[in-house]
Amino acid sequence: MMWDTLRRYVRGLWNGRFILAYTLLVSLSLFIITPFLLILVKSLGKEWFGYRWLPPKVTLDWYKWAFEIARVPEVMKNTLIIAALAILMSTTIGICSGWAFGRRHLPGKEALMSIVLLPRMIPPITYALGVAQIFYALKLVDTHFGVALAHVSICAPFAILVLSSTFQSLDDRVLEAAGVCGASPVRTFFHVTLPMIMPGILSSMIFTFSTSYNELTLTLMTYGPDTITLPVRTYLAVGLGYWEVTSAMSVILVIPSFLILILIQRRVAPEKLLGGFKGL
Amino acid sequence: MIELQNVTKRYGSLVANDCVNLQIWRGELLTLLGPSGCGKTTALRCITGHQRPDEGRVFIDGQDVTDVPTYRRELGMVFQNFALFPHMTVYQNVEFPLMIRSLAREKRREMVRDALRLIRMEGLEGRYPRQLSGGQQQRVGLARALVYRPKVLLLDEPLSNLDAKLREEMRFEIRELVSQLRMTAVYVTHDQSEALALSDRVAIMNAGRLQQVGTPREIYEQPANLFIAGFIGLSDFFEGQVVAVEGDRAQVAVRGLELAVPARAGMSSGQPVTLFIRPNDVVLMDESADAAENAFQGRVDKVTYLGDIVDYRVLLANDLELRVQTDGRKLYSPGSSIQVCLPAERCHVLAQ
Repeated sequence: MMWDTLRRYVRGLWNGRFILAYTLLVSLSLFIITPFLLILVKSLGKEWFGYRWLPPKVTLDWYKWAFEIARVPEVMKNTLIIAALAILMSTTIGICSGWAFGRRHLPGKEALMSIVLLPRMIPPITYALGVAQIFYALKLVDTHFGVALAHVSICAPFAILVLSSTFQSLDDRVLEAAGVCGASPVRTFFHVTLPMIMPGILSSMIFTFSTSYNELTLTLMTYGPDTITLPVRTYLAVGLGYWEVTSAMSVILVIPSFLILILIQRRVAPEKLLGGFKGL
Repeated sequence: MIELQNVTKRYGSLVANDCVNLQIWRGELLTLLGPSGCGKTTALRCITGHQRPDEGRVFIDGQDVTDVPTYRRELGMVFQNFALFPHMTVYQNVEFPLMIRSLAREKRREMVRDALRLIRMEGLEGRYPRQLSGGQQQRVGLARALVYRPKVLLLDEPLSNLDAKLREEMRFEIRELVSQLRMTAVYVTHDQSEALALSDRVAIMNAGRLQQVGTPREIYEQPANLFIAGFIGLSDFFEGQVVAVEGDRAQVAVRGLELAVPARAGMSSGQPVTLFIRPNDVVLMDESADAAENAFQGRVDKVTYLGDIVDYRVLLANDLELRVQTDGRKLYSPGSSIQVCLPAERCHVLAQ
């Protein structure tokens, strides 16, 4: 059976259009993957000064360096704590706003939604300085809560968008049916409403995690020695010139996102995460 | 069994239910029929408890339930868009009302199996609603509504989302189920043929008011007013004036032609009346046929062949246009001259 598909594949390849299509696809894939491959190889190589395709020696020294000297575990801990706080705040905001946007008639709803999306439309660097000034005044710099709060400005818009779509598609009649079947409002919530909105909430949480985890600009403006996140650490290492260690840290940075993507791609189509909401 | 007493419900300045008084007997299937916006769904939602009447009371089985929330009213309801729980299987959907009532697992299983057998969907317990067709989803909705044998079954346009052929089949299934289980049922629809086919009694509503309540035959043959006559079945309407009343017959002048119609109590000479006749009660005869009571000369204007019936537009001598439907055994072509007979007993008089 495998030979059949292989034969069909090869036969297809000989068709001119397919050759062009495949060439383009392969080129695109290489274009996207090559930087990662480069970093992966660099993080594992010793004495590789760029005049060969592959490094002469393979080593895990750089990873050891990252763990012991760059204190990656502690940095990872910071990153995850901040992400967790950002998720908590964004999801709460998202649920409350999403409920209003999705189920109530609000005057000027479109205008409000545009304002909500504004932080994603403009580069964070433009307002990061302002955020930093306010945080200094409020003594929020170098606190996990402070950095998370800064992240919320870019995480909450997505949460609101996803959750308003979720709540909008929540069918009232189904909830009424639960009531007719004898379920009190509380029981209706736990047995019917919650399971129905859970995919939307999870989707919003994943999006928020990803955004907070990868955020550099806002973190740079609000961090301190106690709240170094992985993106910040990597950025600083680049500035110091330790390319190999930086590569190792980048690989470590990528792994959680990669894992999550693999885990969820069966349940939630990644295309849905990036767009295709009602109203967008 | 169910009673709406002086129920009035307003949405802002719109009066959705205006002093509705309705009684539904135990074991009967009553249909609330009317055009969109007539208030039938509002009336149903007052019974279920999803709406609270601004005035009036609602009684179920002798108890005043106006202040009782929906989930305590022991009802079963079938929705137009099925409203199945999308995250539960067929089995779990049907089991839900029993689970809420904390019945023992074995008892639940038995009752769910019974319900699934009634709707003929054994073997599909593990499917999710998104894997079912429209008809199947609606049957599951029925099973879920009936599984704990509620006092009353309510159906809110349950067949509107199904295609025409399926609608007819499901009509009989629902009727059978309700009779078999001896349930009291309230059915809401805007489809008058559905109402006539299904119901023990029909309650017609228009603009928030109850127009008439009666058996399908009563509604069809003795509509109480102009609206009902026009809404149920097809009608040809005439305005005229009573010329004379003799015994059980009255002569009515309609644009120059005189019609003999059954006399109603209180008819007097000179009184303006509205008559109507059903298009399929009008008889078409050859021009040369013997004269009969209420037979007039006319000309065929348009003919529409519909297979089992033929629809004619006929013009009478006084420029009166009539819609006539016959069984098609004898076809008249457009432009031909014919005699149009309106049998006196089939002419109905409405009070003006």
